Amino acid sequence: MRNIGVDSVPLAAIVAAFIGAVTAFQTRYQLFGGVQLSVVGLISRQSIILELGPLLTGLVLTGRVGARITAEIGTMRVTEQIDALETLAYDPIGYLVVPRLLAAIIMVPMLTILANAIGVGTAFLTAILATDVSASAFSEGLRLAFSPFQIIYSIIKATIFGAAIAFFCSYEGYNTTAGAEGVGRSTAQAVVITSVAILVLDALTALLLAPYLQA
Amino acid sequence: MKKRDDVLVGIVMALAIIVAIVGSLWLARGGLSKGYALYAKFPWSSGLKQGQPVLLAGVNVGYVDQVELRQDGTVLTTFRVGKSYKVPQGTVATVIPNGIFGDMAIALTPKRPTPLSIPENDTIPVGPSSPGIAELTSKGDSIATSVNAITTALQKELVASGGVADLRKTLASSNALMLNMNKLVSEFSAVAAEQNRQLTLTQASLRRATSGVDSAKIDSTLKNVRATSENFAILSADFQKTSAKLDSVIAKANNGPGSVGLALNDPGAYNDVRALIQHMDSIMVDLKKNPRRYINLRIF
Repeated sequence: MRNIGVDSVPLAAIVAAFIGAVTAFQTRYQLFGGVQLSVVGLISRQSIILELGPLLTGLVLTGRVGARITAEIGTMRVTEQIDALETLAYDPIGYLVVPRLLAAIIMVPMLTILANAIGVGTAFLTAILATDVSASAFSEGLRLAFSPFQIIYSIIKATIFGAAIAFFCSYEGYNTTAGAEGVGRSTAQAVVITSVAILVLDALTALLLAPYLQA
Repeated sequence: MKKRDDVLVGIVMALAIIVAIVGSLWLARGGLSKGYALYAKFPWSSGLKQGQPVLLAGVNVGYVDQVELRQDGTVLTTFRVGKSYKVPQGTVATVIPNGIFGDMAIALTPKRPTPLSIPENDTIPVGPSSPGIAELTSKGDSIATSVNAITTALQKELVASGGVADLRKTLASSNALMLNMNKLVSEFSAVAAEQNRQLTLTQASLRRATSGVDSAKIDSTLKNVRATSENFAILSADFQKTSAKLDSVIAKANNGPGSVGLALNDPGAYNDVRALIQHMDSIMVDLKKNPRRYINLRIF
């Protein structure tokens, strides 16, 4: 959990901060005349909490955490450490995969919450400092038509992404073959597969849960 | 080292949970305080949902907490107002569009400033709702449909059935007509100028004739006319007298007891004359039939 969660906070925060700033900035200058400026707050909140926060956190952690999981387990495989565990009657899945899976399921949502908060915060600062949107207008947009389910929706997505990262990366590492080269290949393959899987799961989650956002 | 990791993980998790809870509360309520509840019954299809803002005279003071659909055609809306805000008595609640994306808000509109405020858990009367974006769009759509129908009809009448060509022909005919009228007007002007010239000449001749008239002759003529008129007046008076006398004679003849009056008015005399004439007719008839009865001519 330290490795997956705490050590990933700076990276997730930096990504979220820049995403929030760019979202607010782009939204402001995409508005046509006559639209009230509180829309910037509304679109920033919806974009970051519902989509960009969990998705980008998941993709970033795929590169940072998933690759590490695959490399660790893959190395254990090619150096026959997993075989040794099996020889000692340890269940390698329970010993190596399950803790990482639980850590990812718990910590990725936490990181996503922090990323959402940082993203919305930087969007707020960017909007009031770099554009003509006032703090009250942005706050009004932030609170417009908000329902707590939006936070839950974001957490559900992050939980699914965390599980996907741990599962696919552990699987690739666990099935690594052919020495050091195989570890590198498995790591790259794990990152690609997990990234695609996150995007597919993101679309499926949106299809299943987005109707409840309108309630 | 292990303990330090646990602490760091705990800090990150606690921070994330606090951020999630506080952020949700701030976004949903505008703060940690829940505020006090007020109620309003809006008609169906008012478009309200949980979390929408409540505006008091344009200021965001709360949020919609609960929306309960009722079978009597109303939606019982519970909304919460921040404890630092008091809703003045006489305030009316309406549903207004909020933004251009079809979102709605509750607008609390006070009638006048008053220190008296509506107590907690009270129901605020509902005012007329403003038309929403959907309604305005619908009206715009119907207007566009009407305009389209008019355009189609004009297309059919003016283009498809040759109305524009007819119109062009009419305009060409009008132009020709205007040219003819211009010509006619110029001819009339010439005639009027000639008439004016003739009139001027006639006036000059009249003026000359007037200056040549002998005033002494006119005076004597007028005197003669006046004498003739006086004679005519005398003659008229005599005639009136004669007429009056004649009237009295006729009246006597009609009404008087004299023989003329009796002859004119007595039906007995009339009958006698008629019988006499009939008798004479019969004598004449008999005379024609039997002349020898009456005429006995003997020469020897």
